[in-house]
Amino acid sequence: MIPDVRTYLRPARMPHILCPGCGHGIVLGALLRAFHRLRLNPDQIALVAGIGCSSRLVGYVDVCTLHTTHGRALAFATGLKLARPELTVVVLTGDGDGLGIGGNHLIHAARRNIDLTCILFNNAVYGMTGGQLAPTTPQEGVASTAPYGNIEPPFDSCKLMMGAGATFVARGLAYEPLALEEMIARGLVHRGFSFIEVITDCPEYYGRYNQLGKGPEMLMSQKRRTMDIMEILATKRFVVRDRPEVRAWNLPYRLGILHEEERPEFSQVCWQMVAGREMV
Amino acid sequence: MGEVRNLLIVGVGGQGVVLASDIVAAVCLRHGYDVKKSEVHGMAQRGGVVYSHLRYGPNVHSPLIERGRADALLALEWSEALRWLPYLRPGGVLVVDMVRSIPPIALRDRMTWKSAYPPMDVDQVRALQVEVCACNAGQLAEELGNRKVANTILLGILSNLLEFSQEEWEEALSAVVPPHTVDINLQAFRLGRSVHAERFTAGGIPVDLPPTYGVPRRFRVEIVEAWCKGCGICVRLCPEECLRLDSRERAKVGDPGRCTGCQICQLLCPDFAIAVHEEQVEEASIRG
Repeated sequence: MIPDVRTYLRPARMPHILCPGCGHGIVLGALLRAFHRLRLNPDQIALVAGIGCSSRLVGYVDVCTLHTTHGRALAFATGLKLARPELTVVVLTGDGDGLGIGGNHLIHAARRNIDLTCILFNNAVYGMTGGQLAPTTPQEGVASTAPYGNIEPPFDSCKLMMGAGATFVARGLAYEPLALEEMIARGLVHRGFSFIEVITDCPEYYGRYNQLGKGPEMLMSQKRRTMDIMEILATKRFVVRDRPEVRAWNLPYRLGILHEEERPEFSQVCWQMVAGREMV
Repeated sequence: MGEVRNLLIVGVGGQGVVLASDIVAAVCLRHGYDVKKSEVHGMAQRGGVVYSHLRYGPNVHSPLIERGRADALLALEWSEALRWLPYLRPGGVLVVDMVRSIPPIALRDRMTWKSAYPPMDVDQVRALQVEVCACNAGQLAEELGNRKVANTILLGILSNLLEFSQEEWEEALSAVVPPHTVDINLQAFRLGRSVHAERFTAGGIPVDLPPTYGVPRRFRVEIVEAWCKGCGICVRLCPEECLRLDSRERAKVGDPGRCTGCQICQLLCPDFAIAVHEEQVEEASIRG
């Protein structure tokens, strides 16, 4: 039996504010099960978030939480990690928060290889502010600021992170919460910057604007858009089926753990240097 | 032209039917025989039927065995043994593992595990003028430490019926199985050979049926109505269709008796509103 992780929630704050059918809660469940699996002490976990639907999630979790300014979650988390390196610091961010306004912080956190686990909720739209175009909106996808369809190509955030130097890069689906839990657990254990992009759904804006159905339909379509499971996790690859009739959901993406390497970790290097100075 | 012997090896996907027939073919070749074999392993990965026809002799023209012409039938699963029994010639030998793999289509009730599986009655088969060597090879293999060598144990039993020497068998076996499994396969082969000598020559075969029927489990689906937003994800994704939305658009358990405890609803509920708990089932109701 999978564990009941409601003990990690702040029951007085539930139910959460997210819309019916939003996939973010499923991802939070996977994160909490990963905490449970690794037997982490809740007092030693810090959840840091910026602004957005995904970032609201930190308020419902009974660990150390920090709700910061738009796009700057990684900057706050970097400071926190350097001051308290013993903490497990997890950053929850959305596609708009992390890749749009906070894109600069994202690439530099990856470059430094600081030991943070960044979970980026990709729902292809700015949900909280009314369904505006995000850096991840697929081409031809309709948003409130792109009523005739998006003409910009979207980011492939995993490729971006690999290019910027992240040492653990993975992509999962809200539809596959067990595989996601595995990826998050491995990201938490990894020493260095772990980036996990999760494809979730916004039925309220993106789904409604693009006639993609409600929560259940959008969730199920995540799986229909991927095929060919070769092997599990480390070598797991999905070849995405091209469905030209639904260009708004045309995701040329691969799933699974896409990249993993070892590189000196920033907070460790930093503290070693400080310790060396003190001895002199 | 000398006599051609026919051997049919059958089972379900993953049991090692093809490997077993490769080993027999290697033995025959070492002995200087002509060998032909033909196998089908279509839906093997889904627990489907796998069979391998093997014919050997001084000169073999066709790889296929006709109905009623097989000298021996090596079955790695009971219902497959029954399926292929018509291929055995009168007086032929059936070497069978008393293991039960219930095909998904025969599984009528996922709660109690009732199925349309045929009765495992060795005497009924023996009444058809078939010599039966039945054993629990799977259990013996588990005792050896690797469930996968059940096929080699059965080959050991079969080896007593064929003309090849133990050395020829062991050489062929060592050459065909994956290198890191040679030792355990040799152990399994020798065990099978000795099991036959002790237990099957006398005629009376003790068969202890393994308790492969699942113990019925009962589950309780807890729904926190105050947290449910009625998105319908659990209702749409429950494979047993236990859940429904009520008039106020809140998830409700329609038929708790159908829940198999897969917990998909709990995993996919974005609102943490569902928890599946396993209930204790009393001993008496399991027996009844």
